[in-house]
Amino acid sequence: MSAQAAPAATAPVVTARELSRTFGAFVAVDRVSFEVAPGEIFGFLGSNGAGKTTTIRILCGLLAPTSGSATVAGFDVTSDAARIKTRIGYMSQKFSLYTDLTVDENLRFWGGTYRLWGSEAERRRDWAIEVAGLAARRRTLVRELPGGYRQRLALGCALLHRPPIVFLDEPTGGVDPEARRRFWDLIDDLSVQGTTVFVTTHSMDEAERCHRVALMHAGRLLALDSVRALKRIFPQGTLLEATCPRPAGALEVLERTPGVIEAALFGDRLHAVCERAGMAPVLARALDDAGNGPAAVRAVPPSLEDVFIRTIRDAEAGGRS
Amino acid sequence: MRTLINILVKELLQLRRDPKILPILFIAPVVQLTILGYAATTDVRRVELAICDLDRSAASRTLADAFTGSSYFRQVVAVDSSDDLDFWLDSSRARIALVVPAGFAADRAAGRPTTVQLIADGSDAMVGTLGLSYAQGTLQRVAEAGGFRLPIELRPQVRYNPDLVSRYFMVPAVLAMIIMIMTMMLSSMALVRESENGTMEQLLVTPLSPGAIITGKLVPYALVGTVEILTALPVVLFWFGVPLRGSLLTLAALTAPFMLCTLSIGLLVSTLARTQQQAMMITTFVFMMPQIYLSGFIFPIQNMPRIFQMITYVVPLRYYVQALRGVFLKGVGLEVLWPQGLAMLGLGAVILTLARLRFRSQVG
Amino acid sequence: MIRRILAMTVKELLQLRRDWRTAGTLLGMPIVLLLIYGYALSFDVRDIRLAVVDLSHSRASRDTVQSFLSSGYFRHVATIDDTEALDPLFDSGAAQAALVIPAAFADDIAGGRTTELKFVLDGSDSQTASTILGYARQIVASLTPGLYKVEVEPPIGAAPLVWYNPDLKSSIFLVPGLVAFILMVTTVIATTLAVVREKERGTMESLRATPLAAIELLIGKTLPYLLVASLSATGSLTLAWLLFDVPVRGSIGWLAVLTVIYLAGGLGWGVFLSTLAESQQVAFQIALLSSMLPTLLLSGFVFPISSMVQPLQVISHIVPARYFIAALREVVLKGVGPEVWWNDALALVAYGAVVLLLATIRTVRSL
Repeated sequence: MSAQAAPAATAPVVTARELSRTFGAFVAVDRVSFEVAPGEIFGFLGSNGAGKTTTIRILCGLLAPTSGSATVAGFDVTSDAARIKTRIGYMSQKFSLYTDLTVDENLRFWGGTYRLWGSEAERRRDWAIEVAGLAARRRTLVRELPGGYRQRLALGCALLHRPPIVFLDEPTGGVDPEARRRFWDLIDDLSVQGTTVFVTTHSMDEAERCHRVALMHAGRLLALDSVRALKRIFPQGTLLEATCPRPAGALEVLERTPGVIEAALFGDRLHAVCERAGMAPVLARALDDAGNGPAAVRAVPPSLEDVFIRTIRDAEAGGRS
Repeated sequence: MRTLINILVKELLQLRRDPKILPILFIAPVVQLTILGYAATTDVRRVELAICDLDRSAASRTLADAFTGSSYFRQVVAVDSSDDLDFWLDSSRARIALVVPAGFAADRAAGRPTTVQLIADGSDAMVGTLGLSYAQGTLQRVAEAGGFRLPIELRPQVRYNPDLVSRYFMVPAVLAMIIMIMTMMLSSMALVRESENGTMEQLLVTPLSPGAIITGKLVPYALVGTVEILTALPVVLFWFGVPLRGSLLTLAALTAPFMLCTLSIGLLVSTLARTQQQAMMITTFVFMMPQIYLSGFIFPIQNMPRIFQMITYVVPLRYYVQALRGVFLKGVGLEVLWPQGLAMLGLGAVILTLARLRFRSQVG
Repeated sequence: MIRRILAMTVKELLQLRRDWRTAGTLLGMPIVLLLIYGYALSFDVRDIRLAVVDLSHSRASRDTVQSFLSSGYFRHVATIDDTEALDPLFDSGAAQAALVIPAAFADDIAGGRTTELKFVLDGSDSQTASTILGYARQIVASLTPGLYKVEVEPPIGAAPLVWYNPDLKSSIFLVPGLVAFILMVTTVIATTLAVVREKERGTMESLRATPLAAIELLIGKTLPYLLVASLSATGSLTLAWLLFDVPVRGSIGWLAVLTVIYLAGGLGWGVFLSTLAESQQVAFQIALLSSMLPTLLLSGFVFPISSMVQPLQVISHIVPARYFIAALREVVLKGVGPEVWWNDALALVAYGAVVLLLATIRTVRSL
């Protein structure tokens, strides 16, 4: 496989076996199993409430699993949480630096919680400041920083103690696209240096930048592979994109057309999954006949979003039968 | 140790950044103490007195003068008929009435025993009781001035507070209450605030133990409480002139376990509440008000029904109020007050353990 | 206008039914607090810990001690032979009072001479000490005939008469004050929080967008709370009457009128505060501080106003509970009518009018 694939097989740094967590009757994580290799950027993709955060919290030792087991850096999450904590970095979904402390004070404090003192601590603080691009604002209160800077500072804090594994729970929520791009450049750098990055997101663009992506839905792990491999669930030419001037009712028209497995709305365009390749003229005619035309239909390479929607629908269909 | 100092520095920096903290720390206790110290007085002085002199003689006027001349009474009216007293007592304009019967002077001149009537307003039982007792004392003094002595004389000797100034009793208790409110309120916010801001989660993935987090929260607020006392103490001693007969060292030795209790209660609340507002509500209604009422601060414990007396044994403020009164007024040391110190230490340890257990089960 | 207010009132009542926290605070809290504190709080001193130093060891001295103990006020904790040994008893609080009977006591009596008893008191709780001293004086005065076998009448005797509360039971005067205290604290806090919550949720904005006038909004908002608070006031007063033997001697109608005016003032204050506070947390703090402390300290509930320093007496005039407690005691305990407490009622009306006006002005301005 290409550079997108996972690095060569070494002992996994994270393993989950049949991991489950329930809250009363609600099953947040349902028998999830996976392994993460060292240096890998491992993406967890799913909508809100899919169980991503719960899984991360279990792996970080914040929450005990109801059943199943997991190891991080070779330690069991239930019995050895204390040892795991020194080897991981964590950045939670909710912004979690002290906004009433300055940049420097935050770094000092969080470094201290990992028992970083003296010159080593100083070096790491300088490093984090550089990474966050905050050299001129060491004495600024965090609450006065723009979102993008805060995000990178939070990452810097989570990495002060050079953890081999870092868990990022939706790290780029509420950050502008430019800051987001720079944030992901940082993640790439980390991976190159051998840090394992475990990241959750519901942004498809971000998931595309991961080595491997796990699709989660309703607590279950539906698919896990490289983005390229995931896209192979659509045979060449079976995913068509239609645009038409009068889109009202077009979705229903496509769904009724024989040979179409399913159709979905993507902004102002429609995507249709067909049983075989070469269906474009059929769909165009159907739309024209229904008065939505003149329609333009062409085969497109699948996006991760297509894969996501398709996988969930398959799973739900499978669940029903 | 370095870990602890690290947390301490952070907490203190945060406290310093809080714009509300300076007034709360230095101004609030002094203002509260001054107002409460003045308001919380059970001294009954200048009881409103109505005089109904039916005798209108020199002797009756001398008697009336004995009443109006004492600082215990303030004459509000002189009426001519005892029927007129109804209005004055009904409207609470007078709390006690002295009725001198016709023939009073004649009886006195003839050396016959005579009787005056005292009517007290029982609707304010405290003023009524004391007013009556002052009035009887005044009558006795008048009789003694005339050379009369009861065969058995009761010679009272009041210890610790010979003039029975209620301020000496109340002000140290007010100090205790202020320390309690401040430290409990601050520490009840401590953990909830971190949870609300999302920093608690971040703390918990670090190798910090729950114990270190709890201790790190306890110590800075104990410092705050100490500053609080040091600010308020001069007001107690110099403004209100409450004598400190015991040693400052004893005071410190008994304050420490009390603060352990209040801070632990705060932390316990902090683990029970989900929002800062809830924390405040729980603190106020479940911990603050009952402690104020059941500590013997205003209402003596011995007057309570047995079951409430039992409850007061788990009220830390009870012991601290006793301890403060012991140190300030009685001038006793730990040789006498050790049971109070021990009780607070025990309660504090239990509550702190509960808070830690609760915190641990919460994060687990 | 009436119909729109009614619509608003109904909506509030419906919400209140679902919002168990506010409804519970308003309805349940006063009764629970009254139950607890009504029993706990008392100034009636009993069980006074008495130490006895009997240096006389005579029949007369034993009779004297017996008179103290059978009075029901005192509890015997120790008998010692040496006044020096009193120090540790007082220092530790084991004894509150000590009766010292001199060695010559019995001889003096036998010889018909005057004698004296020493009575040592712990003065640190001045209030309790004064009361104890009063008890001791009464007991000693009653001793004379039995010991000297003669009637000794003081030249000026006192015929004490206590009106309204002949036994001087403190619960009878504390409970009405407690009712006033609890009602004030719960109504102010509940209303403030309820309105601020609405503000936080943003529903206040949508209400403002409707054609309701500010005054209608205000009435519609407070009326339901007034209903609920009146209900809990009725409950509290009934409880005071049933459990704490607080007699209701005056007119229930007037009692209701006074209570409603008082509650309206409390609610108005709550609404006014809620226009100042942006968050529930701040609202709670100021509601608590501005209702609890003044009502506890400056209303005459516990601490007599006439004994306070002048500035505090002046300040106490803006505390509505001061007037309500005075009027409550007059209606309930003294059974008198408006000819006596009209000025208290007037003050309550004025207070209610001022805070409701302030609340209206603030609400209008924020529209």
